Amino acid sequence: MQTNFSSEQLADPNTASSNQVLRTCVHCGFCTATCPTFVLLGDELDSPRGRIYLIKDMLESGRPATEEVVRHVDRCLSCLACMTTCPSGVNYMHLVDHAREYIENTYTRPWHERMLRNVLQLVLPRPALFRMAVLGARVARPVRRLIPRGSVLGDRVHAMLDLAPARLPPSSDMQSPQVHKAEGTRRGRVALLAGCAQTVLAPSINEATIRLLTRLGIEVVIARGVGCCGALTHHMGRHDPAMASARANIAGWTREIEGDGLDAILVNTSGCGTTVKDYGFMFRSEPAEWAMQAERVSALAMDISEYLATLDYVPTREAPGLRVAYHAACSLQHGQRVLTQPKALLRRAGFTVVEPLEGHLCCGSAGTYNLVQPEIAGRLRERKLANIAATKPDLIAAGNIGCITQLSGGVPVIHTVELLDWMAGGPAPVGLPAAVAVPA
Amino acid sequence: MIAQPPPKADIIARRPEIIAGLRALVPASGLISEELRLKPYETDGLPAYRQIPLAVVLPETTEQVAAVLAFCHKNGVRVVPRGAGTSLSGGALPMADSVVIGLMRMNRILDIDYGDRCATVQAGVTNIGITNAVSAEGFFYAPDPSSQLACMIGGNVGMNSGGAHCLKYGVTANNLLGLKIVTMEGDVLDIGGAHLDAAGYDWLGLMTGSEGMLAMVTEVTVRILRAPEGARAMLVAFDANETAGRAVDAIIGSGIIPVALEFMDRPAIHACEAFAHAGYPLDAEALLIIEVEGSVAEQDDLLGRIAALCEPFHPISLRVSQSAEESIAIWKGRKGAFGAVGRISPDYLCMDGTIPTGQLPFVLRRIGEMSDAYGLKVANIFHAGDGNLHPLIMFDANLAGNFEHAEAFGADILKLCVEVGGCLTGEHGVGVEKRELMRVQFTDIELDQQRRIKSAFDPDWLLNPSKVFPLVDMPVTAMPGTAMPVAA
Amino acid sequence: MSAALAPAHESGVVEAILAARAANEPLLIQGRGTKAGMLRPVQAARGLSTRNLTDVSLYSPQELIISAGAGITIPDLEAKLAEGGQGIIAEPPDLSALLGTEGVQTLGGVVATNLSGPRRVAWGAMRDHVMGVRAVNGAGEVIRSGGRVLKNVTGLDLCKLLTGSYGTLAVLTEVTLKVLPRAELTGSLLLPGLDAVQGVAALSAALGSPYGVSGAAWLPADAAERVPELAGRGAVAVVRIEDFARSVEYRLGRLTTDLAVFGTPVLLDDGASRAAWRAIRDAMPLRAEPGDAVWRVSVRPSNGPAAITALEATGARCFLDWGGGLVWIAGPPALHDSVMATALAGRGTWTVLRAPEPMRAAVDVIPAEAPALARITRRVKAAMDPSGILNPGRLYAGV
Ligand SMILES: Cc1cc2nc3c(=O)[nH]c(=O)nc-3n(C[C@H](O)[C@H](O)[C@H](O)COP(=O)(O)OP(=O)(O)OC[C@H]3O[C@@H](n4cnc5c(N)ncnc54)[C@H](O)[C@@H]3O)c2cc1C
Ligand code: SF4
Ligand code: SF4
Repeated sequence: MQTNFSSEQLADPNTASSNQVLRTCVHCGFCTATCPTFVLLGDELDSPRGRIYLIKDMLESGRPATEEVVRHVDRCLSCLACMTTCPSGVNYMHLVDHAREYIENTYTRPWHERMLRNVLQLVLPRPALFRMAVLGARVARPVRRLIPRGSVLGDRVHAMLDLAPARLPPSSDMQSPQVHKAEGTRRGRVALLAGCAQTVLAPSINEATIRLLTRLGIEVVIARGVGCCGALTHHMGRHDPAMASARANIAGWTREIEGDGLDAILVNTSGCGTTVKDYGFMFRSEPAEWAMQAERVSALAMDISEYLATLDYVPTREAPGLRVAYHAACSLQHGQRVLTQPKALLRRAGFTVVEPLEGHLCCGSAGTYNLVQPEIAGRLRERKLANIAATKPDLIAAGNIGCITQLSGGVPVIHTVELLDWMAGGPAPVGLPAAVAVPA
Repeated sequence: MIAQPPPKADIIARRPEIIAGLRALVPASGLISEELRLKPYETDGLPAYRQIPLAVVLPETTEQVAAVLAFCHKNGVRVVPRGAGTSLSGGALPMADSVVIGLMRMNRILDIDYGDRCATVQAGVTNIGITNAVSAEGFFYAPDPSSQLACMIGGNVGMNSGGAHCLKYGVTANNLLGLKIVTMEGDVLDIGGAHLDAAGYDWLGLMTGSEGMLAMVTEVTVRILRAPEGARAMLVAFDANETAGRAVDAIIGSGIIPVALEFMDRPAIHACEAFAHAGYPLDAEALLIIEVEGSVAEQDDLLGRIAALCEPFHPISLRVSQSAEESIAIWKGRKGAFGAVGRISPDYLCMDGTIPTGQLPFVLRRIGEMSDAYGLKVANIFHAGDGNLHPLIMFDANLAGNFEHAEAFGADILKLCVEVGGCLTGEHGVGVEKRELMRVQFTDIELDQQRRIKSAFDPDWLLNPSKVFPLVDMPVTAMPGTAMPVAA
Repeated sequence: MSAALAPAHESGVVEAILAARAANEPLLIQGRGTKAGMLRPVQAARGLSTRNLTDVSLYSPQELIISAGAGITIPDLEAKLAEGGQGIIAEPPDLSALLGTEGVQTLGGVVATNLSGPRRVAWGAMRDHVMGVRAVNGAGEVIRSGGRVLKNVTGLDLCKLLTGSYGTLAVLTEVTLKVLPRAELTGSLLLPGLDAVQGVAALSAALGSPYGVSGAAWLPADAAERVPELAGRGAVAVVRIEDFARSVEYRLGRLTTDLAVFGTPVLLDDGASRAAWRAIRDAMPLRAEPGDAVWRVSVRPSNGPAAITALEATGARCFLDWGGGLVWIAGPPALHDSVMATALAGRGTWTVLRAPEPMRAAVDVIPAEAPALARITRRVKAAMDPSGILNPGRLYAGV
């Protein structure tokens, strides 16, 4: 597509790369149909092609972002279904990341939004604060009736309270920096990103991952200094905190790579995996040393299912006869294009895997999306749950904590890796349907 | 660059009043009037042409469409219907004084009847959406434009869209049973139904391919078909376009009509392979994708016959797809062909002429010569069974004058298509792009005849009036009211 | 009426129309006049026939295309196509026996009436295969639409508008058709003893199968008796497959299994099958007494049984084609109201194919259009035939 940037504008590396993205787009409109917000709202402005156009116009004009552009860009889930669909290879992710940063730098949001975003940015990436916040929400739950719905702020508070789990599991020390030795002969050495919110909401995921890997002869390192991947702030357009998180992680892993070496950097929250795989791009204009290290980290990053698929995973328990609806997290299917491995592993583990219709559509979780856009997120959740229900599953398996939280409430939602660990000798995951007789 | 007719000054002047009037007719989120938010509606799948409309409305019901049309009719406001905006001929390009009516919110499936093999859907349902809704029962909606993921059935009716499998199953027109339409005056009419061949004039046929100039479509009843037992594709590669062309003649001449018979030339093969990794032979000059249907034994039988028919033309390779995944990859490459060209070139113009199939080698040779003369690369995709040729002209819109150059090249190709006995457009429609070329194919008398038919539906020329017909002497004023000029 | 003009060239058609227009005298547009008794009678000073426009200007079998003058007879056209092993896809019926007309129908006549046979249900109507036309409008202008290629969306599709317009908009002088190879083999499967409801259910199952059924009819016992290949078994549902020999055998086998719930089928071989379908095509199963009227009603296929039941109760004779969607009806002209009511109840359409002239002039021979559509009809008629001289009143009174 034709673009109109001046040579001064193109001197900025972000603009130059966005120009490249825009030039690749041929405006064919294929992507509109698989975009969740277009499907729900039926307005080109809430479609990838419309957003690309709005962003193009915003960047070309060089003017500060306006309320209209912000509204439509904010509604984007960053689910990246559009990238899967696009035949021309348009990197929408890089374009929208740039747009978000541009918006953050040139647009002043209303105070309540700023506050909300500040709180999220502060709390979510920090497990200790997050734990306190969730406990606070539990306290607040009984008084929610007092908070009026209908106002932007009120609705969001409700959204937060709705999502906060009623009960938090005890924290786990397996997630703190340490080396988990392989059982038997060591066949590999990997780093595991323990994550931020996940360590609080569901430490069992990391525990299962570590058990499963060590049992398969893999040494698992929780590297010192590694914390939040930075995705949260990155998607809010907050460049500096995002880069700071990423930098800390790159440093932590580089020590391991250059020390005892790493075969892979594993991520079991696919939302984070997409970002870690993008470090190379995020650091492309940083000093060479950093750029190289970031590139190396990205090259080693793998989703847990991608890595497991390369090992000889064999179940040790008898197949439990469960129908598992596989929910493909967007970050996994669109962001990382990991499509077949989780399903193949679940089948290998002895589950009957079913795939709901409209599998390409986001469940509405999308990082903090369900907190900042509760209305659309809620509609997507309903739609997703209805499609899942139609497959009459006993369980839902997903590879991303965000989706797990978003979809929970009815049919149990369990991380793929917990199911795999269970079948290979680990404990039965919490939340299995009561009727399931846990095989010994 | 094709010019747009001048906007009506009085309409532009009355913009606030018109927008206020529209506001009362559709839900609040369904009216777009701020310039910034109108911008993404300024173009469609032919982004070289752009024009910000007066306003965009997104109605949700037929009643709302009727109210908006009646309002625009009363106020003399021009209207441009829009589906998914994937038109490659600028069919959905707005005019400065026009209201764009987008039907993407009308995306519900209303009725599916497997016994009577038909489905009724709103105009904003995507083409693939129909197939998806019936595939669990083993049915499908046959016309399959490459854009089927996104394009909407209303737009398909507007353009009479076709696809790779139309050789056997026909184009949109052959797969429709009924329409609900709204005239410019706001009258809601049912045409056809779930039965075949309504008596009276074939409004269904006339509406199909009328590019939004006669009435707006809000509901469509289509035929759905039971999917075949199976299908398999075969790739046959040749070292020259001529031999591939002769192989096509031999196949059709033998009495075999494959469900699809697609041709790609060397640049197209390379672009598509880079995108789909389908294992297309990169050493070939011409590649045929031939698909047959039926039971495995029937497929084997037909593929065997076709292979034998190709043999005398010494194919350099011949590969039968071995699995469903392989077939999907083969079609992914073909259906993503346009986008794949978008990977190797920042911009492309997709031509859509039809030629008598026997003329293919000659036409490709001429296109090659023109490509050298214009200094622009071109990749050719050809629905070989029915003669529909898609030369994709690659250019760079950021280079001044490059688009105009590409457009001139495209016009030369289309003139060539008409010269050899073909036509300007096989499935993408005339739109704004080929408007001025209509004179190459039709006499003034013929164009006037078509214009008079448009006037019969839309006497004031308010519905998508800047499309299809050459603008010069556009009879907007020459044909007021219903008084037909008597041609003598 | 003075003798019909029958020019040998298109220019003669132009002259005739210009002259008629100058004299403001309506013309009766005809091929060989075999369909003059269909729909409304035309009050015309003169006839204009295309019977002498018989040239085949193009036949390219490997391009599946033939262009011929509107006056070529259907048998001549079929003979020409047989040279390339091909045929007319929509299988137009020859209704001369049923309508009691003489002579052979022409291509122009079949196209102008959009008359299609049993294959219509799977492969489309005449209108689906008209790729190009040359015609002369009521102002004496030569109009071309479409062309000689299979895919063409250039401009408004006047081919479709003119097909089925009964010569009221323009006089077709040349038609270009898409044609297809003739099937190597035809086979049929007969399910005896089914009533209309079960019969149509069987047809629907067959048409909804993946086996490419190209004909699906149900005949009550008396109608089946009139077709030797189908006689002696009571009411029958009959389904046709046309394809390469191996496919026909295989598909009939599969259908036999899939349709087992409807009974044990009888298979017809190629010869019997072709004969039976020719009879169905030409509506031979329908017995029309000399004073009878004949109608075709097209409804949603699942409404076919109700339609036939309602009509038989009034004394009409009927049978069903097109999977139950096409009801052939013969009976006293007085049944017209019942026929209309039945078609409306089935949310469909009707056509009077034969009836005494006074009745044809008096009733709605096809359904009247909604007022807004009727307005468009009048305007389109005026857009093509400004003086209203081509077959005036043929479809609707005053149009
Ligand atoms: C990459 C690519 C590949 C394509 N491949 C094919 C192909 O293989 N075959 C093919 O035939 N086409 C193809 N197309 C062209 C295009 O997709 C079709 O023309 C399609 O039918 C347009 O549908 P739409 O919903 O996008 O309509 P739009 O582009 O929005 O509109 C198309 C036309 O129809 C009119 N219209 C839209 N909706 C209505 C309505 N409800 N009532 C009345 N008029 C209406 C518009 O005014 C316009 O004139 C392709 C396009 C792209 C970008
Ligand atoms: S990332 Fe998802 S929500 Fe955003 S534009 Fe793409 S498809 Fe739509
Ligand atoms: S699919 Fe790709 S090329 Fe097409 S409009 Fe969307 S982003 Fe652009």
